[in-house]
Amino acid sequence: MDINDRIREQLDNNSVLLYMKGTPDFPQCGFSGQTVAALNAIGNPYATVNILEDPEIREGMKVYSNWPTFPQLYVNGELVGGCDIIVEMYHSGELQSLIKAVGDEEPGAESA
Amino acid sequence: MNTDRRDQIRDCLEKHFSPVELLVKDQSHMHAGHAGAADGRGHFDVTIVTDKFAEKGRLERHRMVYGALEKLLESDIHALRIKALTPSER
Repeated sequence: MDINDRIREQLDNNSVLLYMKGTPDFPQCGFSGQTVAALNAIGNPYATVNILEDPEIREGMKVYSNWPTFPQLYVNGELVGGCDIIVEMYHSGELQSLIKAVGDEEPGAESA
Repeated sequence: MNTDRRDQIRDCLEKHFSPVELLVKDQSHMHAGHAGAADGRGHFDVTIVTDKFAEKGRLERHRMVYGALEKLLESDIHALRIKALTPSER
């Protein structure tokens, strides 16, 4: 499968998707860790992709998103931002609204 | 050497954005030993205030900064924290 098709498939199947270094339990980078902490504090389900274990996705995402760094948070297929933007939106309450709106639309989102 | 890199980042951002305020901190020492620091590229923290960010969303502001620093991101910057504001948001 073409790399952009793989990315689109991941985004189509997961309304809240975090491309990160490591896993939520063991983030391999402070920025990924801070982003996970914000998402955990909100408490809604989210999916993650560990880009350290998938070099093709790691390089492909940078081009797909026109964004050179990780983590990258996607909601409904749209890039929301990296760590700085996510933490800022968490503190202003915007992230909570955005993610809870997804949860309301899709009661079955935890299966993502 | 770290001061040089910080100056390069500062010069590059000055040139692109004519900021009214610009602060570049080298935080590489805070990450020494962690895997991302192994290739010698650094961690930097940028606060930039310019009216060029007016009417631009967060993503676009960060993309503008990444775009200006494209070459340095490959050679010298491993991680970059960005605070991008307009003068009225300061």
